[in-house]
Amino acid sequence: MYTQALLALPLVGFVVTIVLQGTARRSPAILKTWALLAFVAMAAVATLAFPEIGDTYTGPMVFGSSLSIGLTDLSWWFVMMIAGITVLTSFFTLGALRDTGTYPMYYGWLFLKVFGMLGLVMSRDLLTFFIMWEIMSWATYFVMQQGKEEGREAALGYLVYAIVAGMVLLGGVLFIHQSAGSFEFAVITAYMAKAEFGILLASVLLVLVPFLIEAAVYPAHGWLPSAYASSETSMTAYLSSISTRMGLFGLILFVFSVFGLKAIDRIGISAHLNLRTILLVLAALTAVLPTYTALFQHDAKRLLTWHSIGQGGYMLLGLATASTLGTAGGLMHIFNYMTYVALIIFSIAAVEYRTGTTNLNKLGGLIVKQPVAFLGMLFGIIGLAGIPPMNGFVSKWFIYRSLILGGYPFIALAAFIATVGTIMSVYKLIHNTFLGQLPERYNDVKEVGLLMQLPIWILMGVVFTTGVFPGLILQWIAKIQVGMGIVPIAWTLGGVAREAGDLNMMVVTAVFMATFAVGAIIFFIGGKRRIVSQYDNYAAGHFLNKDVPYNFNYNFYSAFDHIFEKLYHDAPVQTAIRNLGRFVRMVADYVRRFFTGQINTYAAYYVAAVIIALAILKEIP
Amino acid sequence: MAEKELTQRTAWDKVLANLRKRSLWMLHYCTGCGAVELPPTMTSRFDMERFGIMPMVTPRQADILLITGYLSVKTLKRVILIYEQMVAPKYVVGFGSCTINGGMYWNSYTTIKALDRYLPVEMYLAGCMPRPEAIISGFNSLIDKIGKGEANSWKDYYENYEFYKKNQDHVFGDIETHHDVPADGRYFGILEAKR
Amino acid sequence: MNSGIGLIVWIIAYPFVSFSLGVLLGGYGRKLTARIQRRVGPSWIQPFFDVVKLMSKKTNVSHGYMHDVAMMMLVGGTLLTMYFVPVPGFHYFSQFGDYIVIMYILLVPPLGMALGVGQTANPNGSIGIARALQMLAGYEVTFVLTFIGFAMKNGTTSMYELMMIQQSGGVATWGLVTNPLLGVAALFCLQGMMNEKPFEVVIAPHEIATGPMTEMGGKYLGMMFIQHLINLVVELTIYMNLFLGGATNWFEYVAKLFALFTLVMSVNAVYGRFRTDSALRFFWKLPLPMAALGVILIMINGI
Repeated sequence: MYTQALLALPLVGFVVTIVLQGTARRSPAILKTWALLAFVAMAAVATLAFPEIGDTYTGPMVFGSSLSIGLTDLSWWFVMMIAGITVLTSFFTLGALRDTGTYPMYYGWLFLKVFGMLGLVMSRDLLTFFIMWEIMSWATYFVMQQGKEEGREAALGYLVYAIVAGMVLLGGVLFIHQSAGSFEFAVITAYMAKAEFGILLASVLLVLVPFLIEAAVYPAHGWLPSAYASSETSMTAYLSSISTRMGLFGLILFVFSVFGLKAIDRIGISAHLNLRTILLVLAALTAVLPTYTALFQHDAKRLLTWHSIGQGGYMLLGLATASTLGTAGGLMHIFNYMTYVALIIFSIAAVEYRTGTTNLNKLGGLIVKQPVAFLGMLFGIIGLAGIPPMNGFVSKWFIYRSLILGGYPFIALAAFIATVGTIMSVYKLIHNTFLGQLPERYNDVKEVGLLMQLPIWILMGVVFTTGVFPGLILQWIAKIQVGMGIVPIAWTLGGVAREAGDLNMMVVTAVFMATFAVGAIIFFIGGKRRIVSQYDNYAAGHFLNKDVPYNFNYNFYSAFDHIFEKLYHDAPVQTAIRNLGRFVRMVADYVRRFFTGQINTYAAYYVAAVIIALAILKEIP
Repeated sequence: MAEKELTQRTAWDKVLANLRKRSLWMLHYCTGCGAVELPPTMTSRFDMERFGIMPMVTPRQADILLITGYLSVKTLKRVILIYEQMVAPKYVVGFGSCTINGGMYWNSYTTIKALDRYLPVEMYLAGCMPRPEAIISGFNSLIDKIGKGEANSWKDYYENYEFYKKNQDHVFGDIETHHDVPADGRYFGILEAKR
Repeated sequence: MNSGIGLIVWIIAYPFVSFSLGVLLGGYGRKLTARIQRRVGPSWIQPFFDVVKLMSKKTNVSHGYMHDVAMMMLVGGTLLTMYFVPVPGFHYFSQFGDYIVIMYILLVPPLGMALGVGQTANPNGSIGIARALQMLAGYEVTFVLTFIGFAMKNGTTSMYELMMIQQSGGVATWGLVTNPLLGVAALFCLQGMMNEKPFEVVIAPHEIATGPMTEMGGKYLGMMFIQHLINLVVELTIYMNLFLGGATNWFEYVAKLFALFTLVMSVNAVYGRFRTDSALRFFWKLPLPMAALGVILIMINGI
């Protein structure tokens, strides 16, 4: 009952938003409030649908098989994540989106996208899955189109990738239907368990490749940064936090449930050299390379979108180990990343709301003006860098431990190299935005209003709470792991049970709080202190004032820049993606010229075509 | 003079002073030729570090401001800025006769003659220029003074700021150092201590 | 010392023990450097005098609340790491966090410092932090690889268990003896971790005015000194636990601590400073391949 309502709600929202569209320019509040209420209702229905986990509902018949939806532990978890982040984003847009008129159909396409994503995670057969996949991809394209002018070209780049992914997936769906004779997941699982190797390999590849493209796994990651970074900032948060993970959802669903891990592991030479090894290597590359590209970005949003790719690599790393710890880490990282990246981008949006820029070379010193946004970003970057006590650490701990004990030392090293890169780039992010010298032009900047602060505070709470009590998330993950056919993790509220390793975040956090208090005591034992002006600063005797720029933020990591100059300054992948967008436009432009709209041109085409056809036919004996 | 009140110390102050005198970090402002005597003082030959005296880099970290040589009007500005950036207790040590009476630059139009008109000088090291032995002996007497709680010239800057400010302004007009010295004195309770 | 009253007493006493050891180590290091340079050198407990002097400064200059909180994070984070690193007779907390946890909580103090230094709005400080973070890609990456190899070989990530495995057979089972490539590579990293020459690019007094410490005066610098002294002990202990078999009693512990520090300070005394990119290149050319070779050998033996 609630399951169908859950899927119907965004669709209703989409239709109503189109109807309400006329009011957007005059009184945007109507549309905003409607969107928020609809999404809250959706979240409520999603919660109510909890008892329906395990049921399947069939819909209309298509191609001789009925479309079916239903909730599993895995999909309910994803539904809750989607619902939660959608509510937070729409709440944030109440304050952040100044003028919905400039973003026609912002909420409309968001509703459609949510519909596609919910349908995707709730689909119980291959055909529904494909249909929802296509709806989601197109909605994502339209969502990206809402952004700035330069975003249009980037969105076109995404579209090319999405169409390729969609076509390959269609091929995969048809191929599996052809060989297994059904769209039903259960039938496919049974068939694949004893399918011929060739058929298995073809179906797995045809299905996995689109997922890897959608999950922006190296080397198919290039579409993401420009497309996400040039969207509206709150939408960047939404896209980065959950949208990219749909590819990963497909991967989890198909690898662990539909095909089954046994079938997947048949593809390969030995236990240490199989399809999962390839996935591990791809994941390691995804974790390392984009993270180090992020180091050299000058735009806060762009920097974070590169991390969206890189952190996706961690998730895939965990999942590809297919061990208890690894999958727990991978699944948990999906949730963790969602929370802290949304938090960071909301903070950036708060800064952008007041200063009008996200350029890291122009900002600085805003900590005194926007302390809440600073705190939000601080919590977020501690999570992103994976430092205790925030939640990002716990999932990384799982992934490291599974890699080290699973016998993948160099993959584990790659993961750590990526972590170092993450720490470097997030420090650059927070330093160039909030620390350093405050430029004179930002003297009048104020904190954002309570409407925008509230999502930041909520996410800060989530990031911290799930970091200290990872058991809150792990209890769900254990359930999901059972459904995936993996031994569930032995969790405790503070981490894992003794037999699974040494981790208790509650103790770590408690000790940290105690030692922090010791630090505070030492601090207050020392004499009084006075806060001075930022211009009262050591400059070797030079007198500082507002006319003397005395800040370090340009070319922040100069030694790296020095070493990797060639690699980064040419940025081959990015150039290629831009060129791809241009190429599509160029081809389309040429195609357009054929259609002149004059009847004699078309007549000429017809005559030419007939002549060519005749000439060819003549050649054929 | 407040000399008497200042020497009335609790036992804790005495212990603290005797520990503090063992660690003195020095910021040397080397404009004049006297700086050439410092390397031998710091390195193997005379080894200043055995008294706990070390060179430091920024004014925030330093306890001693060592002015080695003449001060032109331009450099005096910097010295005052640096002195005000230092964290109290802080001690100005004038090094060489240039800081005492202008030395060989006595009739130069662009150097100042007596440093103590602009900054509260804790002690002078006379000589043109003082040898490392003299520097070491000077520092030792500074250490003794700190131990006895008599090295209090830095309080004078807070108490008699008008005097110093007037002389400073006389040389180069008003300068913006971002410091409100009397307010600092009140905030940290340095002025109250005297009363 | 791992249960009951003894545990509580030890938890309270340990920071003081650690700080005292740090003072002795720091003083010893300065004395040693002085003797190498044929000087008399300062007092054996000179760092203690420095800390007392800095903490008792009358006026202190802050650049904002983050600057203050950063100092608490700095000392707090170091004490946190200290509790999780097992020492002879005290390994209560190692059951709540293995070396992966330690590896990450080791990053808490630098993060705190980085945030505080950022707020002081001094470019020298920011440059120092940028250098420190870049150096992580050199020594920390290599050190983690040596740990990964060692943990993989012994099938555990717990530092206490790794220590116990090494103590099972005397010197012959020390990590440095069984896996010399890893041990020596980690020794290079130790030099970088402790920020001593030739990898002293973060402080670099002659280039960037002591980097992160530029705007730190009075109690701020004092707390940085306290952190530095405790950190000396923690970092040396980590290396000792991973590659020198830890220690079974306090006499052995202190002896190993001083022996290891002698090595570090001797190298420090006779070398100049690398440029940041040269230091990185050095780590990627010598210790990293060395550690990688060590790990490959473990993998070959394992299979």
